[in-house]
Amino acid sequence: MSAVSASAPPRQWRDGELAILLLLPIALINAIGFILPVLNLARYSFNRSRIGGGIETVFTWENWAGLLSDRFYLELVFNSVWISLAITLTTLIASYPIALYLHRASGAWRTFLTVLVISPLLTSAVVRTYGWIAILIDDGPVVSAIKAVGLPAPSLMFNIKGVFIGLTEILMPYMILALMAGFGRLDPRVEEAARTLGATPARTFTKVILPLTLPGIALGCLLCFVLAVSSFITPKLMGGGRVFLLATEIYDQAIVTLNWPLASTLSMLVLIVFGAALWAYSVVLRRLD
Amino acid sequence: MSSAPEEHLRLQEIGVSFGNVNVIPSLDLSVRKGEMVAFLGPSGCGKTTTLRVIAGLNKPSQGRIIVGGRDITHLPIHDRDMGMVFQSYALFPHMNVSRNVAFGLQMRKVSGRDAEARAAQALEMVQLGHLSHRKPKELSGGQQQRVALARALVIEPSILLLDEPLSNLDAKLRDEMRVQIRALQQQSGITAVFVTHDQVEALSMCDRVVVMRGGNVEQFGTPTEVYERPATAFVANFVGRTNRLKGRITSEGVLTAAGQQLRSATTLAPGAVDVLVRPHRIRLQETADAANEVQGTVSSITFIGDLVQYGVRVDDEEVVVEEATRRDRRPLAVSDKVTLGWSAEDTLVYPAGEK
Ligand SMILES: Nc1ncnc2c1ncn2[C@@H]1O[C@H](COP(=O)(O)OP(=O)(O)O)[C@@H](O)[C@H]1O
Ligand SMILES: [Mg+2]
Repeated sequence: MSAVSASAPPRQWRDGELAILLLLPIALINAIGFILPVLNLARYSFNRSRIGGGIETVFTWENWAGLLSDRFYLELVFNSVWISLAITLTTLIASYPIALYLHRASGAWRTFLTVLVISPLLTSAVVRTYGWIAILIDDGPVVSAIKAVGLPAPSLMFNIKGVFIGLTEILMPYMILALMAGFGRLDPRVEEAARTLGATPARTFTKVILPLTLPGIALGCLLCFVLAVSSFITPKLMGGGRVFLLATEIYDQAIVTLNWPLASTLSMLVLIVFGAALWAYSVVLRRLD
Repeated sequence: MSSAPEEHLRLQEIGVSFGNVNVIPSLDLSVRKGEMVAFLGPSGCGKTTTLRVIAGLNKPSQGRIIVGGRDITHLPIHDRDMGMVFQSYALFPHMNVSRNVAFGLQMRKVSGRDAEARAAQALEMVQLGHLSHRKPKELSGGQQQRVALARALVIEPSILLLDEPLSNLDAKLRDEMRVQIRALQQQSGITAVFVTHDQVEALSMCDRVVVMRGGNVEQFGTPTEVYERPATAFVANFVGRTNRLKGRITSEGVLTAAGQQLRSATTLAPGAVDVLVRPHRIRLQETADAANEVQGTVSSITFIGDLVQYGVRVDDEEVVVEEATRRDRRPLAVSDKVTLGWSAEDTLVYPAGEK
């Protein structure tokens, strides 16, 4: 008896304790791999750059003040946000029917199509971008085909159009996956109910399908907007150095000009844009509920 | 002119296939104006499929659907004017109760204020006026069910289609809703099709019952006809319970079963037969005026409150007998010798082996 009472009772985890314990590893990784570098960037944005890439560790508002008073940078931010929004919208329009079809497909056919949709992600964006360049370049198949029909030849490469086409295709898998994840509330019976109550297919779409898929749309748009704003390789390669966006400018400042404080300030600006996007997303979600 | 009620819905040689599986071979049916007809049958027999064909949600591979003399086989769903109540209710989760009910009116271009008033009225009818601003997920199953009913009725549809509307409710609510749905249907005089696998619902709520099996109609008749004169052994078994005794009809037309001669109201060609008798139609001991009398031994007694269920060994078959509990007679005990008696009308005879 005494042996039993002497041994300590098994340790009982309280809910809170267990949660903290389980969250600790990811919190640590996030702190070391994300929070600290971001804080570091925030610090750089208040330092002064020296010619040749050096950093003078003084506290100054110069970078921020310079950035906010320079038309070039203000237009850069505005253009980046605007182009990213437009790319997000085209990606949404191109992806929505595919996602809806996939949502309704079943069995092996659905698995096959899903793999097909995801498969571009298995190839590096660099390779896919070069692929697009080969297709859209001035003497490439697309332009030749347009010329053959007798239409004036458009210039699709090394300008904003190329970036637009390339990014849309590159972002589509993400958009489709996010949409499908958000289509959970779409019940075929509910669509059928609308039809029996006298709704034409078009009105069923606007009154039932669209509202019920808004959570998926919001999620997909948030994801693609963030990816578009931060995308760098595709605008760099397909823009031919003529398309200036936040991400490409950050690269130029950090790697070419070696102005780390300015690159840091631009990065913080991107973070602020993302914060705004996240806020908009949460507002939309709350409105939907 | 005869005063026979007018036909409202007719299904003509309707067939349905999914891929290469023929679920409904060829189904004919005629429903009168203002009556409520039950589709009764075991799960998977094609009740829902037939209902969906009427609503236009499934395409028949053959046959015609005629409503009020008009062929609607190829009419799109939204022009059919059917009020459907889905088994899962299928309310619009993003709309409140009032907008759910007004949806059909809105699609019919009824003006906003009119639609609102009529939706409110329909909600009063199902006693949910006070919940019009709730979202569906804030309602209980029974309340959702009534919203679905109001939504289907408010458009004053040509036919009300109900797919097992009570199967997701608890027993007490089910009894209430049974009465309520029947009352609403009779008040509005609407033609209704009620799908169910529950014989009590079919018999108690509906004017006529279609007993279905494997995509075919086994019997179509009033609840009394289906119960008292089942067309097949399957119907007898599915609608109410029965005892089944092996028997045969001799070449002289004499029916024998349980080791003796029996009398039946039905006549059948000579050969092996199954004799079906319902447990509560068998009397114990007081059998003086019964057409059929057999001897047996009590082998089991189950007390169910209102009823006592006896297992009685007759010849070498087991017969279940049900009797209201009573105190005017010495209770029977296991191994007691008893006499069982029943009438010729209660002796249902079918060719042997019919399931
Ligand atoms: N969409 C479908 N695809 C393939 N088979 C189906 C489909 N819907 C129903 N079935 C089959 O058709 C038969 C009848 O189904 P159903 O009408 O739902 O039966 P019930 O409503 O009587 O339970 C079942 O065997 C079922 O498996
Ligand atoms: Mg069913």
